[in-house]
Amino acid sequence: MQEIVTALANGSIYALMALAIGIIYSTTQIINFAHGSVIMIGAMTSYWLLSIFHMNYFTAILLAVLINIILSMVIYKVSVEKLGDLTQNSSWIVTLFGAGIILDNTARILFGTEPKAYPFLFDGHVISIFGTKIMIHEMMMILVAVIIGVLYQIVIQKTNFGRAVRAVSFRPDTARIMGIRSNRIVLMCFAISGAVAAISGALIAPITFASYTMTYSVGIKAFAAALIGGLGNTKGAFIGGISLGLIEGIASMIVPGGLKDAISFLIMIIVIIVLPGGILSAKLFTKGELKTEKI
Amino acid sequence: MLQVENVTIGYGKTEVVHNISFHVKKGEIITILGANGAGKSTILNTIVGLHQAKEGSIRFQDKEISKARPDQLVQNGMRLVPEGRQIFPQHTVMENILLGAYIEKNAKKIHSRLHSIFERFPRLEERKNQMGGTLSGGEQQMLAIARALMTEPSLLILDEPSLGLAPIIVGEVFALLKQISSSGVTVLLVEQMANSALKISDRAYVLETGRIVLEGRGEEIRNNADIAKAYLGNV
Repeated sequence: MQEIVTALANGSIYALMALAIGIIYSTTQIINFAHGSVIMIGAMTSYWLLSIFHMNYFTAILLAVLINIILSMVIYKVSVEKLGDLTQNSSWIVTLFGAGIILDNTARILFGTEPKAYPFLFDGHVISIFGTKIMIHEMMMILVAVIIGVLYQIVIQKTNFGRAVRAVSFRPDTARIMGIRSNRIVLMCFAISGAVAAISGALIAPITFASYTMTYSVGIKAFAAALIGGLGNTKGAFIGGISLGLIEGIASMIVPGGLKDAISFLIMIIVIIVLPGGILSAKLFTKGELKTEKI
Repeated sequence: MLQVENVTIGYGKTEVVHNISFHVKKGEIITILGANGAGKSTILNTIVGLHQAKEGSIRFQDKEISKARPDQLVQNGMRLVPEGRQIFPQHTVMENILLGAYIEKNAKKIHSRLHSIFERFPRLEERKNQMGGTLSGGEQQMLAIARALMTEPSLLILDEPSLGLAPIIVGEVFALLKQISSSGVTVLLVEQMANSALKISDRAYVLETGRIVLEGRGEEIRNNADIAKAYLGNV
């Protein structure tokens, strides 16, 4: 039971990370390879504010979110917008990887190479539910992920901004002749993605330790979860994240700890081969969905 | 209202439209005729700001607009109904119409325009909660036009509104354009369906491989059998 709650908690955070990748992918069709670094910066800056400036948890995360929003907007302005038409130009692969490496190296200089123990929310307090000991921090991970996921769907489905995001993802040029500034919408998506990354980084850091290597140790799982759920499918991101969390949880019970990630990624590869569009593209889930449009 | 002067447009190194000039006066219906690949859509996309001309000047309401962004032009009263309608199939009909009013922040204006749109297109009101992709071709064209009318444009530009529609529906679309024009909107039309388009047009230009080869009153061009044969195929 305890293991399942832990798996679900980690899975929720993977889901948030995948959501952030999906937000950008859906409007630009590009994968933000700097995303792992953005998550890491979110974790490291909030650690800094907590431990050096002795801020409370809430203020530290809020400031980390703001820093990440600005950082993500800068990444978009510098490494993406300047490239022009992304469908005809794949330089974004290099510019985004480059941005990630710059962030990693900067973090290494600023924060050092030593992994830091990141404090749990509520001091790691444990409560007992039906005889199972559950950390409040883990419950918060799940709760925060669900709140952000639901909020995002409401914004996307019900607001003017959300309608515009969906329009830009489907037909960027048509969106532009509606008077929508596609670049602005994409910039906003980068900002939202950065904010979500900061929260997910800060929530998972107590479990993984805060370090500049989070880019790879944690960041790579964001991509795995995004691919399992289907790139750009923001509901699928949650399926992908939770599945990845559960796969990891189960794998760590039956194989030695060192093999845990290998098993998760093996399963990711199998899912991608069998269902290239992610789990939600399986026939079971696409019944009655509108696939083609009339010309 | 719209003056296009010596405009050359290309994609990369390939020139598609060579040094063309034409103009649209307030209140007119103007048609640009041409076969596939003549450069019609390229010209329209350049006018609305999706594409940049290599040379020449485009003026709209006496302002140079060749470097303007699409949203600025929408704000100034220019609207394009794109080729193939390009409605958003996974947005509802209502959402499609509201997207058309994206730049309009005044809720009252949106509400009253919505009201007059539904008066004009009762079918769209019946189907307002349906996905755009479930509409028939003719209804999608109505939706594309309705969406453009949400900002009350002074110049409405249409890229082949008859494309892929049954003849009876084409008739309805052109009747609608005539009606929109008489309500004070200037209309610029690009078409392959020469006959129906020329019937409602004040003037027309004939475009062939990126050059304007002929211009005249709608009737004149329609009655000229040589032109019909040479440039328009069988009409």
